[in-house]
Amino acid sequence: MTIKRLLHPIGPALPILMIIAAGPPAIQAQDAADFFRSNCTSCHTIGGGRLTGPDLKNVTQRKDRAWLIQFMQSPQAMIDRGDAYALQIKQESRDVIMPVISGMSPARAETLLTLIDAESKLEKSQFAGLQISDRPFTEQDVQQGMAIFMGHRKLANGGPPCVECHTVAGAGGFGGGRLGPDLSKAYERLQGRKSMGAWLYSPATPTMNLTFKNTALKANEEILPLLALFESTAQKGVEDDRAGTSAFFATGFLAAVACLGLFAVIWKARFRAVRDPLVETSARKVLGGR
Amino acid sequence: MDVRAQMSMVFHLDKCIGCHTCSIACKNIWTDRKGTDYMWWNNVETKPGTGYPTAWEDQDKYRGGWECEDGELRLRSTSKTKTVFNIFHHPHQPSMDDYYEPWTYDYQHLFNAPEGPDQPTAVPISMVTGDLIQIKAGPNWDDDMGGSPVYAENDPNLAQLNPDQRAQMFAVERLMFFYLPRICNHCLNPACVAACPSGALHKRGEDGIVLVDQNRCRGWRACIPACPYKKMYYNWNTGKSEKCILCYPRLETGQAPACFHSCVGRIRYLGVVLYDADRIREVAGLPQDELIEAQRSLILDPRDPAVAAAARRNGVHDSVVDSACNSPTYRFVKEWKIALPLHAEHRTLPMLFYVPPMAPVMAQKTGTTVENISEDLFHDIDEARAPIEYMAAMFGAGNSGKVRYALRKQKAVRWYRRALTVGDVDMATADRMLREADCSAAEAEAIYKLTSLCTFEERFVIPPMHREEAIEMLADPMSHKQGVGFGFIEGPRRGL
Repeated sequence: MTIKRLLHPIGPALPILMIIAAGPPAIQAQDAADFFRSNCTSCHTIGGGRLTGPDLKNVTQRKDRAWLIQFMQSPQAMIDRGDAYALQIKQESRDVIMPVISGMSPARAETLLTLIDAESKLEKSQFAGLQISDRPFTEQDVQQGMAIFMGHRKLANGGPPCVECHTVAGAGGFGGGRLGPDLSKAYERLQGRKSMGAWLYSPATPTMNLTFKNTALKANEEILPLLALFESTAQKGVEDDRAGTSAFFATGFLAAVACLGLFAVIWKARFRAVRDPLVETSARKVLGGR
Repeated sequence: MDVRAQMSMVFHLDKCIGCHTCSIACKNIWTDRKGTDYMWWNNVETKPGTGYPTAWEDQDKYRGGWECEDGELRLRSTSKTKTVFNIFHHPHQPSMDDYYEPWTYDYQHLFNAPEGPDQPTAVPISMVTGDLIQIKAGPNWDDDMGGSPVYAENDPNLAQLNPDQRAQMFAVERLMFFYLPRICNHCLNPACVAACPSGALHKRGEDGIVLVDQNRCRGWRACIPACPYKKMYYNWNTGKSEKCILCYPRLETGQAPACFHSCVGRIRYLGVVLYDADRIREVAGLPQDELIEAQRSLILDPRDPAVAAAARRNGVHDSVVDSACNSPTYRFVKEWKIALPLHAEHRTLPMLFYVPPMAPVMAQKTGTTVENISEDLFHDIDEARAPIEYMAAMFGAGNSGKVRYALRKQKAVRWYRRALTVGDVDMATADRMLREADCSAAEAEAIYKLTSLCTFEERFVIPPMHREEAIEMLADPMSHKQGVGFGFIEGPRRGL
């Protein structure tokens, strides 16, 4: 009775409201695809082979939906519990554990699995992975990569150059930015060409994801040269040393001292005190040489 | 003609005995709060001396007042551009060392000092840090020429004297000094008001008192270097500037300001004058030697019907015009022309005027006795111990003519009174001196009366302030009608 009374004013509109809240099926699918693209594609493909994580083609046939939904929500918990298949995935992924994805509700997981099912049936899924040429890197690619990294060549979609936040071996006298990690060995950390390429196309960390959400890198023109660069720095095996940092601070310190010196010269005759010099001069006069 | 009223002051320096009662009266009322310990809205300086803060008259250092180039009037301390660059620090302010580090004494030490060979003393303690300090300066450090080889010799007013005159001023038997009491001049063209970036400093429309709005002041401190008299002070506790308020709450209730009221030597005169605000800009931009005369011309005769009518049009109450007719300052400054502004060369048009002191005659030591050079008791002005150029540097904007005029008139009045009361000088000589000094017998009598026999009411002619009318400009006085009565603090309640 009470509930009925409460609902009374919106009662007739209730069915319509519910439809609006749930959203039409087409919109839901589109939503799932967007979610997949921004959260999953840096580690997974559908029919494009494994990256950091396994290829998800026909995943629902490999394991039942209930298990999958549970895993998607808390991978770490499954591994901690000692689930055999979870441990196997972990091993295959070279101990990289799938992170907890924010917004991964059971309903969301369900829609994602539906999407994966649908995409698996297609001959070529839109999530087959980044299509980057397999040609071997050339010296020119490495140079191009450095030009992109340092911002000498602008990114086509207007993203910020890497050097703003990152440094890499050979990034010049003062090194690059110190806000993000040193990328000299990122090629190894992200397990090579294909995996890192996918990562660059759709970065998985919150900061990178936000930064490049609307300014994705171009596959062959930008990601390829960058991969060439990271491969070459990883092969050289040197991290950008901290000499750049020291040089930066040393230069800053010297410049500050020079500025202060300059001020001291420009404002040499500045007002300092009245009484003290007055007393001192008179004392000198009275005491003479003493 | 834009006629306005201005509270104006005259200090008769010949009467000042340097007792500092005025300073103490002021301090006890206004500046004994935390953060105001070093402020002396009223102070008394010994001249020659550097005063307070040290060498405040040296504008090469403190950059106070206005300068005039090709008729263009500019503040020395700041400008619109400089305000931006100096917004957080004005470089030409006196430091704490140029004032003094306020201190008190550790009196407890008298009781709990460990036993020793000497009497314990109350040791000085800084009121800023609380630590023991070595006192290096005080608010009145060179009083009575104390430390004269340091302070008196560096008096900026001595710059115009030749080395002989300087040596003579400090020769042992010829030494002279006088006192210079100072408060805010409540100038007509105040540099502090012009420099204030917050618009906190203002000149009260009804009586010309210059005040700092404590709510508007943002503590930029532009006023401190701007004031050539260094009468703006920064309260380090509230972070606002403060200055002499001419005891306006006392004036509004018909009382003389505390320093005036308490003056032992009765050197202070206070009264309202009417002036022409339209001509301030023109007068402030005149060549230096015309400044004193031009400033005098700003002050209008309240008995002139045209002036009174213009005043009435401007909202100056008739009772204020009547009060201006009896103003002692009007007589000293405008009628008798014996009161002169201090350092008029800074073009702030100060409204505090000084009657310059008659310095004692030059003396000479022969054997063991000191003899006067002049036979006359009231000697020739130019033979006074203080060179006229020294007085002119202070009271004549460098123009010794104005100072000489004022001193000669005073001298003539003395001769005239001497002839009348003692009779050892002859009246014919006295009359001749009066004529030479541009003074009639009646005027001499009036000067004598207002100088020597003046009553409280004659010295302080305070106009009715008409606060009841002034408040109507800001608030509706009827708004509380039927609303107040009992119960400001705790209202009565029904029941037992």
